[in-house]
Amino acid sequence: MFDRSRRRAAVIAAGLLTVSLAACGSGDESTESDLSEHRVGAMAEYKVGDQFRATEPLTFSMLYNNHPNYPLKNDWLFWTELTKRTNVTIEPVAVPLSDYEQKRSLLIGAGDAPLIIPKTYPGQEDTFVSSGAILPVSDYLDLMPHFKDKIEKWNLHPEINQRRQADGKFYLLPGLHEKPWQDYSLAIRTDILEELNLEIPKTWDELYTVLKAMKAKYPDTYPFSDRFSQPNPGGNLLNILAASYGLEGAGWNFQHVSWDANAKKLFYTGASEQYRQMLTYLNKLVKEGLLDPESFTRTDDQARQKLANGKSFVISSNAQTLVNDYRPDLAKTNPKAKIVKIPLPIGPAGEINPASRLENGIMISKKARDSKYFVAMMQFIDWLWYSDAGQEFAKWGVEGTTFVRDANGKPTLAPDVDVVGLNPKGTKHLQKDFGFYNGVFAYGGKPELVQAFFSPEEQEFQKVMNARPPRPVMPPFPFTDEEREQISLWATPLRDFVYQATLQFILGQRDLSQWDAYVAELKGKNMDAYMDLVQKAYERYQKNNG
Amino acid sequence: MVTIDTAAGTTPKRRPRGPRPTRGYRVFQVVNAIILTGVVIVTLYPFVNIVARSLSDEAYIIAGKVNLVPRGFNLDTYRLVMSDSLFWTNYRNTVVYTVVATFISIVLTTCYAYVLSKKHLKGRNALIGIAVFTMFFTGGLIPNYVLITSLGMKNTIWAVVLPNAINVFNLLVMKAFFESLPVDLEEAAAVDGLNTYGILLRIVLPLSKAVIATMVLFYAVSFWNSWFTAFLYIDQQDLLPVTVYLRNLIAGATGAENVGAINAADEVQAEATLKAVTIVLTTLPILLVYPFIQRYFVSGVMLGAVKG
Repeated sequence: MFDRSRRRAAVIAAGLLTVSLAACGSGDESTESDLSEHRVGAMAEYKVGDQFRATEPLTFSMLYNNHPNYPLKNDWLFWTELTKRTNVTIEPVAVPLSDYEQKRSLLIGAGDAPLIIPKTYPGQEDTFVSSGAILPVSDYLDLMPHFKDKIEKWNLHPEINQRRQADGKFYLLPGLHEKPWQDYSLAIRTDILEELNLEIPKTWDELYTVLKAMKAKYPDTYPFSDRFSQPNPGGNLLNILAASYGLEGAGWNFQHVSWDANAKKLFYTGASEQYRQMLTYLNKLVKEGLLDPESFTRTDDQARQKLANGKSFVISSNAQTLVNDYRPDLAKTNPKAKIVKIPLPIGPAGEINPASRLENGIMISKKARDSKYFVAMMQFIDWLWYSDAGQEFAKWGVEGTTFVRDANGKPTLAPDVDVVGLNPKGTKHLQKDFGFYNGVFAYGGKPELVQAFFSPEEQEFQKVMNARPPRPVMPPFPFTDEEREQISLWATPLRDFVYQATLQFILGQRDLSQWDAYVAELKGKNMDAYMDLVQKAYERYQKNNG
Repeated sequence: MVTIDTAAGTTPKRRPRGPRPTRGYRVFQVVNAIILTGVVIVTLYPFVNIVARSLSDEAYIIAGKVNLVPRGFNLDTYRLVMSDSLFWTNYRNTVVYTVVATFISIVLTTCYAYVLSKKHLKGRNALIGIAVFTMFFTGGLIPNYVLITSLGMKNTIWAVVLPNAINVFNLLVMKAFFESLPVDLEEAAAVDGLNTYGILLRIVLPLSKAVIATMVLFYAVSFWNSWFTAFLYIDQQDLLPVTVYLRNLIAGATGAENVGAINAADEVQAEATLKAVTIVLTTLPILLVYPFIQRYFVSGVMLGAVKG
């Protein structure tokens, strides 16, 4: 199935390329300056804190990611209330979540895309930029006071700059978080810790000590047996470990390039000293029987099975798997077992929160620029997705109906409304019956809002993580089209080779004394050329925009 | 999912009369029976296992304890899937799309194949060439999408049933079958005063039940299972076939989309059993069709094969 859809994606990409070639000739005619023809329905005065309301009824088409847990209904309170408040009606083009990205590519490629294209993750817009079908939104930020205000207030410039393309513009309106939101970490059996009289490990070194003690007590187990190894081996483990070693990402978030904030230098992740240290650490765990070598090759279910049967005590986790997988599994096999998600262990890079503060966001069709309602649409998007009032509306709904405020103005769910099991007795569902807390509209914002529906223990976890500083943001190095094409030719063999060697080093099939030979092999696969191009793009960007 | 291997299970039923079977022959039969029983078990096991999973509690599946018999019997996932009215709307769509599409396909494929089987037809090779060409080259996804959209077929049943109406492989099998019919028969019919259509409807088609049944099966199964065409050309959820619905359901239960959002317990049960339930719900109806077509099926496929 995967292969098939990947092939289709390739076909679409090829199609896009032809469209983009065709579109190249048209040039750049409309500039930001002249918007006077496009102000129908817009508010003359619209600034931070204002409620947007179109001066006449407007309708905008929007791609809609249809989540099976709360399938689209046309009579949701969300739609009627939205129209009441803003005088705008959204016309959703419903696409199943399962294949949303594919359909998005198709519609954009065919020139049939709706005006508003949400649920686009940072980086996904890159492929569409050259097609000329997407609006460079950075030209129109003056129409979006709330968006600008949040960037300013939360100091998101470095993150936003990362989204800039070679032309210095960005094409995606990302979701904005005030604080990074790190979800993934490790879960650990605390009843075993208590039994062994151990504290929850704070660093990766302490984790090693803990695993060692577990192994001493239960010699026939692998204390750490991991999951999330698909599609890439050690998907989560390698990624959080890499972040702790000051790298940009590995595993399922493999990043070729990392950033040394002190030396102000970009370097190749898979050939760095930090990467070698990280592999040495993992290799040590495997060699001493602390980390299950099967962790890197099998399915999640098998890892869950081991944990449930007491054959392992530590596993990768996010808030959801902890509550939905591990606890119910363990409750059935061992009622005494206790398991918690621990704050991300600290590595050589010190205390950092590696999560990005950008979320999935919105692309806008270029053809929207030609509409006389263009300004109104930008104001509308700004209000719904980026104003405090709009964000609260999208998440909590309507005061008095779906939520109530206490004396301090803190919102809580109305007594008969349920969501994520917070009000199990509630007869109506915030998402299914009202259409709020919808992944298409509600994301990002202040921590209180983001974490509103988290369990107390997850809020506690986030408090610890939020106290850690965000990691330094890598500077942008946007490629031109030709460069991107060249880079992608080098990237795949390089990445495959790094994955392969990573596994060999960890499992001890290749000795770490051969590190230099491995780096030489990377060079043979154009690593240096790759980095030269990155460096060139970086310097060009610095020169033009720095 | 739907296996057609069962044909292998038909051992020669009647021993040749005459001399008693030799010892060697009897040994062969025993070995044969054992091997074929093994094949039956191997093909049957996954399906029985899936049915058992669909009826089990998720915890037992995760613990790897479900084999042939459901453990912790429950119907929650079935209830969850089937309680949604959209599921039934989409299921009805699948039935309608399959029936209409199969009918159209059979009519078009039969007509085209019959024409191609006539050696005296002028331009016959060109017609075959056109069909075969599409086996190797397509316009591509985006041009197809633009075509369907500009024909105004988007969000209608026609977008699902028309684009894949003729499968060239099936067409060639049918052509070969028609070529194998004796020409004399049709000449005799012509002498008796039947025109071309009469010959096709009254003589050829009644003799072609086997191949038509086979084609019905091929087409019906492929339309029943297909989701991609509908996914491409349909934007309204109540027009989608059930395959897209279930595919989305699984994605929702397993996808990264849920990260951080902790779902209520009844929604979670799903993941492990959900796949099994989906498979059972989508394969069962089409499996039920098999026994009725089976007898045509074996002879039907072979008929085309010899002439190729």
